[in-house]
Amino acid sequence: MTTFLALSITGLVVGCIYALTACGLVVTYTTSGVFNFAHGAIGMVAAFTYWQLSVGWGWPAPLAFLAVLLVLAPLLGAVVERVLIRPLYGAPIGVTLVATLGLLVTLLGVGFLVWPPDTTRVLPKFFEGHTVTVFSLVVDYNQLLVIVTSVVVAVGLRLFFSRTRLGIAMRAVVDDPELAALAGTKPERVSQLSWAMGASLAALAGVLLAPLQTLNVTELTLLVINGYAAAMAGRLRNLPATVAGALVIGVSSSLVLGYAGPQVVNYVRPAIPMILLFIAVLFLKQERLRAGSLAGLRMPRTTGLRQSVGVGVVFVVVAGFVSGQLSPAHLAIGSQGLVLAFVMLSLVLLSGYGGQVSLCQLTFAGLGAYAMGKTGGGALGLLAAIALPAAAGALVALTVVRLRGLFLALATLAFAQAMDQIFFNHALGYGGTLAIPRPRLPFVDTADDQVYFVLLAVVLALGSVGLLVLRRRAFGRRLIALNDSPAASATMGVSPVRTRLVVFTVSSAVAGLGGALLGGLHGSVSPNDFLLLNSCVLLLLATLGGLYTPTGAFLAAMSYALFPELQKLVPELGQVQFLLTGLGVLALGRNRYGVGGQLADAGEKLRALRLQRVGVARAAG
Amino acid sequence: MLRVEDVEVRFGGVQALKGVSLEVPDGALVGLIGPNGAGKTTLFNVITGLEKPFRGRVLMGDQDVTSLPPHQRARRGLGRTFQRIEVFSSLTVHENVLAAAEARRSWGRDEPEPARSASELLERVGLGDVERERVDKLPTGLLRLVEVARALASRPRLLLLDEPGSGLSTHESEALGDLLVDLVRDGRSILLVEHDVELVMRVCQQIHVLDFGSIIATGTPDQVQRDPVVQAAYLGTSAA
Ligand SMILES: Nc1ncnc2c1ncn2[C@@H]1O[C@H](COP(=O)(O)OP(=O)(O)OP(=O)(O)O)[C@@H](O)[C@H]1O
Ligand SMILES: [Mg+2]
Repeated sequence: MTTFLALSITGLVVGCIYALTACGLVVTYTTSGVFNFAHGAIGMVAAFTYWQLSVGWGWPAPLAFLAVLLVLAPLLGAVVERVLIRPLYGAPIGVTLVATLGLLVTLLGVGFLVWPPDTTRVLPKFFEGHTVTVFSLVVDYNQLLVIVTSVVVAVGLRLFFSRTRLGIAMRAVVDDPELAALAGTKPERVSQLSWAMGASLAALAGVLLAPLQTLNVTELTLLVINGYAAAMAGRLRNLPATVAGALVIGVSSSLVLGYAGPQVVNYVRPAIPMILLFIAVLFLKQERLRAGSLAGLRMPRTTGLRQSVGVGVVFVVVAGFVSGQLSPAHLAIGSQGLVLAFVMLSLVLLSGYGGQVSLCQLTFAGLGAYAMGKTGGGALGLLAAIALPAAAGALVALTVVRLRGLFLALATLAFAQAMDQIFFNHALGYGGTLAIPRPRLPFVDTADDQVYFVLLAVVLALGSVGLLVLRRRAFGRRLIALNDSPAASATMGVSPVRTRLVVFTVSSAVAGLGGALLGGLHGSVSPNDFLLLNSCVLLLLATLGGLYTPTGAFLAAMSYALFPELQKLVPELGQVQFLLTGLGVLALGRNRYGVGGQLADAGEKLRALRLQRVGVARAAG
Repeated sequence: MLRVEDVEVRFGGVQALKGVSLEVPDGALVGLIGPNGAGKTTLFNVITGLEKPFRGRVLMGDQDVTSLPPHQRARRGLGRTFQRIEVFSSLTVHENVLAAAEARRSWGRDEPEPARSASELLERVGLGDVERERVDKLPTGLLRLVEVARALASRPRLLLLDEPGSGLSTHESEALGDLLVDLVRDGRSILLVEHDVELVMRVCQQIHVLDFGSIIATGTPDQVQRDPVVQAAYLGTSAA
């Protein structure tokens, strides 16, 4: 009984922290309509700042606490809203999602830069050493503080939203910004306020969570993701349900941890919140198809078949020539870029053409590598590297196919994180590696790095041309039609579910093949190669490069692969890699089509100009 | 062809449709008019499956389709256009219609040459010379015609048109009227929502008048025009 109570208390404390973070998410989301993927990262930065002020510079703890919660965090939230979010209101979910992912990555960069992970930082618990005994149960003051704070915050929020003019206005803004504007509240101000409040709640959660473990940039950032499931329990709107969800999650995972054998604990416990998130998302009632959906992005014009085949051939020839000139180190970088670009093609298909956001592409890549590693590099291996991820993709798609936009993103996030914890960590050996053979082909020696480089170039060219062909055929049109207007597509008899299922499956297969080739390039893979965070960075980069063209994917992948090289020239760059990527996202507010889109635009202008000249010449002649 | 029985729709406290029943016979061109906010678009959404009615049924032929998803209804011969334009903005004019023709081929199996059908339809609605343009370069009036052509490419037996004439010039709107008459002569049924009363009076055989979610009059154009209740409804809203 005592064990049960003790476990429950521990779980309750963690649940309270989840509740705080989830409430922050809900406040921001309901008011501004943007789901903040960087919520956890804000909590992380706040926790480190708190450490810096109180431990690093020796401020009195209460002062540091208040400075972080009431000044720095709200300020950060308000600035983020003004600079990053405000230009994006009304943009499709894909864009706002990538923007907040960019913020996440930026804050990670700041975290690594300012607080390098080489020193251990520990935050003392609040009221260290003080305990009370309740019914023979020892509860320390820190735990009490967390619980009391949470209750105060929950009650405070409830009163704020139901009793104050401002709170009611905040609720009105989501439902009808124009109406709220008529009633005299400026929607931008109100949503800025919601970002400030959200950041403050994230900070509170971060600061309370930090003393329970050592300060670690990525862990703190991702731990707060556990609050997502709770936020889903409240359907991203309902605060009491959110709090209840958080407490259930906290207590149940604590009990599982306490009672289950170490086997289960190791495998499942880290994934529990993710599994719950996945389930919660599935149970959300989906909005029905609606006419008058948001205007989607308009994709750049596609290049003609002859032209793209031509470019593909030239590309391979150039790759063949270049491969002879490159040093082994440069060859490795180039190969890395090529194979990443191929993996990104799966995103061009799924997100660019199909408008579905996925945060688990590298999970499928990992499955491809795993299949290849287990079956050897023969034809069977290649087949398995395509079939296993395709099958997994189809399974995931079957469960999430009714989800769109944000909820699809969250479900894929949960899937990726759960796979990290449950599958890759064990299937590829904890921190270990799995050897991945290169595909064996007749007449070519793929063991030779130069040959492999050319092979990757061929695969990338084939994939790109294939994608462009698909885009110009009936299936491509159907996909784009479905993305531009789901309602109109349905009224011409297109089954949205089947189309999404197909594209998700194909995209997983492409990612899987890419993963197998990536594994072959390095000879082995480790669990760290397929982390959720890397999937996020992949999506981010692909979006920056331009999700709508294979060229964009190529540029993004190459710059990613080249980064370590630049770093050799400018050593400090390694620290700011995340920072730069994140900052690139700010540019999204200006051009939502990425670099590839800009190139396509320029190409079109050039063509128009040339046609004009020809016309003028004709007229003159 | 189509029967709507006692359909009620609520949005929160607002009753957008209060027990609407109407019928579109085979091969008929039926008008549906009414002041702004009367519930016309909402009724279209219920018929096509984009809105779930709180009460009531939708029947096509003698089949109850109330519980079918939109794409299943489309495959049973229902096509529509949208008042708030829903074109595929990344595609060209031709591709917009082609996508529908290809969809028809995939489930109808009676569309041998989607590309040619698409061109012919565009010619028919008068967009032949802009078919290579990207659709986002066109003015709204013409986009409505793109939607008409796209709807036709699915070869529907019943076509629901939500204000296809708004944004068209007098000349274009006359051509649209002729097209509608033609389509009905080919054996299609049409339910037309249109603010251009002249157009409706000219082409429709029967007209339903919707006001505040209820049908307040049904009859031939002449009957409807002379109906005092209808006059009151229109004067009432225009005076307000
Ligand atoms: N999604 C919705 N949510 C809430 N209310 C809605 C919704 N759609 C329509 N309404 C309301 O239902 C009523 C009927 O609207 P509807 O668009 O069907 O009218 P309409 O006859 O098509 O008008 P118009 O001539 O302006 O197109 C209006 O009061 C409208 O405000
Ligand atoms: Mg309407």
